[in-house]
Amino acid sequence: MSIVTIDGVKVEVEAEATILDAARKAGIWIPTLCYNPSVSNLATCRLCMVELDHGEEGQLVTACNYPVRRDIVVSVSSNRAKQARRGVMELLLARAPESEQLKELARRMGVEGTPYPTVTESQHNCVLCGLCTSVCEEVIGCSAIGFTGRGVDRIVAPPFHLTAEECIACGACAAVCPVGTIEVRIHESTGEAEISPFKARAKLLVCKECGANLVTEPVIRQMFDKVKIEWEEFRKRASLCPACRRKRSAEALGLVAAKSREVNFASGKD
Amino acid sequence: MPSEIIQEIVSRYEGDIGMLIPMMQDLQVEFGYLPAEALHRLSKQLELPLTRIYGVATFYSSFRLTPRGRHEVTLCMGTVCYLKGAGRISEVICGEYQIEPGGTTSDRLFTLQAVNCVGACALAPVMIIDGRYHDHVTPESALKIIHGLQAESETAEKGAE
Amino acid sequence: MTLSGSKVIESPADLEDLREKLRKQLKPSAKSVRVCIGTGCAAKGARRLYELFLQAAGESGNGVEIEAKCVGCHGFCERGPIVVVQPGNIFYQGVEEQDVGEIFRETVIGGRIVERLLYEDYITGEKARTADEIDFYKAQMRIVLAENGSIDPTSIEDYLVSGGYSALARVLRTMDPEQIIAEVDRSGLRGRGGGGFPTARKWRSCRGAEGSPKYVICNGDEGDPGAFMDRSIMEGNPHAVLEGMIIGAYAIGASQGYIYVRNEYPLAVDHLSRAISRIRDLGLLGEKILDSSFSFDIRINRGGGAFVCGESTALMASLEGRVGEPRAKYVHTVESGLNSKPSNLNNVETWANIPAIINRGGEWFSSIGTQSSKGTKVFSLVGNVENTGLVEVPMGITLREIIYKIGGGIKDGKSFKAVQTGGPSGGCIPAAHLDVRVDFDELTKLGSMMGSGGMIVMDQDTCMVNIARYFLSFLKDESCGKCTPCREGISQMLHILDRITHGEGETGDLEKLESLAELLTETALCALGKTAANPILSTIRYFRAEFEEHIRDRHCPAKVCRGLFLYEIDPELCTGCGICKKNCPAEAISGERRKPHVIDQTKCTKCGICLEKCTFNSILKV
Repeated sequence: MSIVTIDGVKVEVEAEATILDAARKAGIWIPTLCYNPSVSNLATCRLCMVELDHGEEGQLVTACNYPVRRDIVVSVSSNRAKQARRGVMELLLARAPESEQLKELARRMGVEGTPYPTVTESQHNCVLCGLCTSVCEEVIGCSAIGFTGRGVDRIVAPPFHLTAEECIACGACAAVCPVGTIEVRIHESTGEAEISPFKARAKLLVCKECGANLVTEPVIRQMFDKVKIEWEEFRKRASLCPACRRKRSAEALGLVAAKSREVNFASGKD
Repeated sequence: MPSEIIQEIVSRYEGDIGMLIPMMQDLQVEFGYLPAEALHRLSKQLELPLTRIYGVATFYSSFRLTPRGRHEVTLCMGTVCYLKGAGRISEVICGEYQIEPGGTTSDRLFTLQAVNCVGACALAPVMIIDGRYHDHVTPESALKIIHGLQAESETAEKGAE
Repeated sequence: MTLSGSKVIESPADLEDLREKLRKQLKPSAKSVRVCIGTGCAAKGARRLYELFLQAAGESGNGVEIEAKCVGCHGFCERGPIVVVQPGNIFYQGVEEQDVGEIFRETVIGGRIVERLLYEDYITGEKARTADEIDFYKAQMRIVLAENGSIDPTSIEDYLVSGGYSALARVLRTMDPEQIIAEVDRSGLRGRGGGGFPTARKWRSCRGAEGSPKYVICNGDEGDPGAFMDRSIMEGNPHAVLEGMIIGAYAIGASQGYIYVRNEYPLAVDHLSRAISRIRDLGLLGEKILDSSFSFDIRINRGGGAFVCGESTALMASLEGRVGEPRAKYVHTVESGLNSKPSNLNNVETWANIPAIINRGGEWFSSIGTQSSKGTKVFSLVGNVENTGLVEVPMGITLREIIYKIGGGIKDGKSFKAVQTGGPSGGCIPAAHLDVRVDFDELTKLGSMMGSGGMIVMDQDTCMVNIARYFLSFLKDESCGKCTPCREGISQMLHILDRITHGEGETGDLEKLESLAELLTETALCALGKTAANPILSTIRYFRAEFEEHIRDRHCPAKVCRGLFLYEIDPELCTGCGICKKNCPAEAISGERRKPHVIDQTKCTKCGICLEKCTFNSILKV
């Protein structure tokens, strides 16, 4: 256990916890963009810079992946740290000028705009945080998309920039994208879900009862690989949306019908 | 595309994925570039996602994903070569043959590649053609050497007719 | 002189026996011709020279044994191909095929000098018979490069005869790991790749780290443009690097070594591979080396073509079959490096210093150099100097001595403007600081750094704004793209510099550059990003006026930036031949035959074709 003194607040953290963990425990907000607890920490965005007290000279480090191995003193609100975070955000705003989520984060940080012009032509509105590629590889296990190229012209794409063969159109990448660049689009006419901008499409399965969008076929197939029952049986059980399934169960149990909740699959919000 | 080649290369390195880059270098020597199919097969052989292999292929400058010209023309763009006019030499070659750096001429005669410093700075500007170094090149002498390649292949073609 | 059979060397005694045997085979008065086949000389046809000399030596029926040998880089690449004749150490430069016969007849057989092939001092006209008489070599102190030029890098025999692997034998027979590290500590050796980190401290940390297997890695990814020290060491004396690595591995407790050589150095890969094969066959690599309990092996990996792989964590990622992306170093690589195991990475030159330190003692090494920087350093002195090539000098020598005494001063009678040190991570140093004593710390104080040893000398016709732009453009290509500040920041800085060099600079540009520079230094993930701003910061620091002239006056004082200076025809020199007029794509030149022509500045696009075509030097840049 080590003690982290963060902006004057002392918190105790376990071995290998990060400064970010300590900050959350202390109730101190540090802006993050590329951080997500479900995937490995690449620390690509550099937005969470904080100042580590090293006696005479402080050192700027990224809070999300700096491992606390002994008692340390950290300053989140020092001028030096604030200026660094502001600078990084200004660069990000120039990179992804159309992202509402990014602008909102900037406002929360007190950054109103950017003095820099947008100078990159490649991948529109992407900050190359790596969350989509990480989640696809580590959580979903498909590795349908990855980084291609090097440097400022790097983009996230399927191999050979063709349609992603491995993509199951699950929407995890859209869910983790912090700037709203990746979207799931539902095509009602063809009954397909599309992951934009990767051009991956898959047939959507709908609820037998209410017709709400469920999951895509490839996702269902991947789920099926993990259960030990026959496909037909599985398909039967997986034919209702959660709301309808709850309604059926409540009816079966003779309870009064539960308050029905709309689940909008496209946005994933309740 | 014989899958034996891929298999041979993989076993040459005992299937060690840490040796992915040398494997791809050997593949490139075999085919002259990295054909998509070869990368697909490599992905299956090594049980590595194709995105990972494609990522490596597009990250490192020495890998080519399109067929190359018959000759490899490399211009050094290191500081000293640059100061001694390598930029102009590149411009002149690109202008005459209607290509961009990294591109291949339409008749597949050669591929022009820029590299960052080959460590022969005392000989700047340096041009390497098919592994052979040419020192102190100028736009004129560079063109002359490349015209020589053209003449060579034309005589070769005539001989074949 | 060759080793017959491949009897394994099973003990230090075996090694000494072999060495004695080889030395006995040497004939002191033997005549030999040493042809340098380093990349620089090979580029000018040195291999063919070697073949011709070999042929001549074979056909010579004098009864005297004549040896033709190929040797590694002497460092004086501009004067190549270099051929040295023994006895007498006669140093011939610029040798061509047609000279072979004459050299053989006159010098090898007849003992006479071929005057015209000797090095001639460009000021005094004096000719030098041997390398020691040439200023370029006089002030050098060759420790790492000592054997370059006398041993055949493709044979182990030469290396053994000159004492090779005796340091290894001594270490395995009489020293334990702590003693070895203590010796390196005593020497004060600091990393030669640019970081300057105390080598003994690194070894000690790795030795003390938990985890196995442990790795030692040699960073041969010399990417700084203008630097070719490591190339010459790997090509010219590969065994020195290997011996250093084996000693280091023993001290650290590593069982596997890697040498990462950049893809653009095929000859280095070849010579290192042969050397490794050879010592493996002889038992100096592998299981239970020299009858000890120490087992170790080395593998070579070629880079894929990425400057960023010179950074240690990116190099290790590459060795893992990944893209060369650096990672955070909050946990050092000596604790968790390659495959998350303790890994000790050192530069080629660092490893090559180890055998000498063991053989002659750490104290000897620390008697050379300055308080903070011990030993010698190999620099590649290139650019607008008379004598370009590799120089090995004691730390503490001044820039003036290197550039003027060894380098022979600025070429073509021009004046010195700046010297760029440390490659894309370093900066420019102007004339005012020529007397700085070169070491790790002094150059850093001036806003540059020693880096891996590249020293690019620039004369009065260099545009410093253009230089800054060049380095940023280089870094933009080479940035891995992982982190925001480097990826976006370098692009933004380059964008500003592009505007400035195209006459579109704005007030506030310099301040923007400085603030971006600070941002990069503070927030970038790796050393490439953190030091990316050095070239621009140092050029602004010492040449601010030049930047301001570009921005305010849209004029390039060095007359390099296209469009920011004028072309004018000197009426005194112009013969009226009309070639410029004929070739001008903008039809901006007018004039009658045999009368001075004139450029219409309102039409001139400043393409420069007229200057290229004029054979009378009558077109001026203004």
